[in-house]
Amino acid sequence: MKSLVIDSHVHVGFFEEMNISDQQHVYNMNMMGLYKTGLESVQGLFNRCDYAGIDKVILLPMDLTTTTGGCVGTNEQVKKLVEEYPERFIGFASVDPNREDALEVLEYAFKDLKLKGLKLHPSKQRFYPDDPKMDEIYRMCIKYNRPVTFHGGMSVEPDTLSKYAHPMRFEETAYRFPELRMCIAHFAWPWVQEMCMLMLKYSNVYTDTALLYFDNAPEFYHQVFSVDMGPRWIERTFRHQVMYGSDDPRLEQIRMIDAIREMPLRKSTLDMILGQNALAFIGSEV
Amino acid sequence: MVYQGEFDILTSQYNQFIPIGDKVAQEVEKSGIKSGVVYVITAHTTTGITVNEKLECLEDDLLDLLAGFAPEDGTYYHARFLHSYGAMAGNPTGHMKSMITGNHCVFPIVDGKMKLGAAQEIYLGEFDGPQDRTIRITVMGEK
Repeated sequence: MKSLVIDSHVHVGFFEEMNISDQQHVYNMNMMGLYKTGLESVQGLFNRCDYAGIDKVILLPMDLTTTTGGCVGTNEQVKKLVEEYPERFIGFASVDPNREDALEVLEYAFKDLKLKGLKLHPSKQRFYPDDPKMDEIYRMCIKYNRPVTFHGGMSVEPDTLSKYAHPMRFEETAYRFPELRMCIAHFAWPWVQEMCMLMLKYSNVYTDTALLYFDNAPEFYHQVFSVDMGPRWIERTFRHQVMYGSDDPRLEQIRMIDAIREMPLRKSTLDMILGQNALAFIGSEV
Repeated sequence: MVYQGEFDILTSQYNQFIPIGDKVAQEVEKSGIKSGVVYVITAHTTTGITVNEKLECLEDDLLDLLAGFAPEDGTYYHARFLHSYGAMAGNPTGHMKSMITGNHCVFPIVDGKMKLGAAQEIYLGEFDGPQDRTIRITVMGEK
């Protein structure tokens, strides 16, 4: 039986079906730093997924209420997309942790909108993951058995300082909340070894493959996964903690998954990276 | 007179040739021009417009030829982060293939119909798909 393939890292903000105004489109481009990204139909994404053999994608919105007064995709828009295309979309929520009503927004997203996880971007939303003010948000995730995907490492989005998303700022959270499944995305690049340290110490820590900043996908993955890391670390040690993610529409969904399929991995490891680990991360039916 | 039209195609493969002659003919008809020329122009830099015989075998031969010309594992300068896009430039092969196929073709219009040769088909070449592609049509002539 074919194992489910999930792209665990797809941004919303550019789908025609979201009825985005021109003004909102410009906002989304500027916030994401995707300056030439036009709107496309969800069918455009589905065509790419079909070609790449991807069954489902996790949609990640971004709530920037207290910094810029808007959202790149709202929780309600994600909910609507999931309702319309349940066979293709898994919806995550976003909440700006600096909102006074952050907990209410998050509980509504989990309880009423039935969103499957939370996306946070420490650099863009300007918070440290180990700030005690975050504890209640993490407890809410544990209460509803929902995972958190954090942006990790460098962000190429504008107005982002890397210090907020350095992997060392996640250790206290991983340590204090062992029931919280947390993905520190992008392998926390360039702090790949620190990311490996976290995954080695904490089984509740995941990462994803949404990183491609130099060269092409096979070359960059070789550099990161075989030079910066030991060439067998994923296969031997992290096979349950790495998820395929593309960062679509910024990076290269097709060429990145092709490069992963070309890596010298057991089929069972490949199946985990391409989908099974995402299912374990979400921890509920999709 | 000059008529300007366009249509979109949602492609489904990373590389493919898609026949578009019927859609171009519809635009020619819409223009109402009886005698003149039609230009078929792609709006992109990783697609091509070309003319060839509509046969599966030839489509595959042409794709193989282009793949040999611009292999995916080649060493290209255009494999870097583009700040103006905020995204990676990962599609050098598409640009190379686009250069080879060109961005347009042109056909005569006689008695209100586009005049193709017996074996000719107009193709959109997709070289960085799947994507939403726009083809622009300019018809010039007399009604």
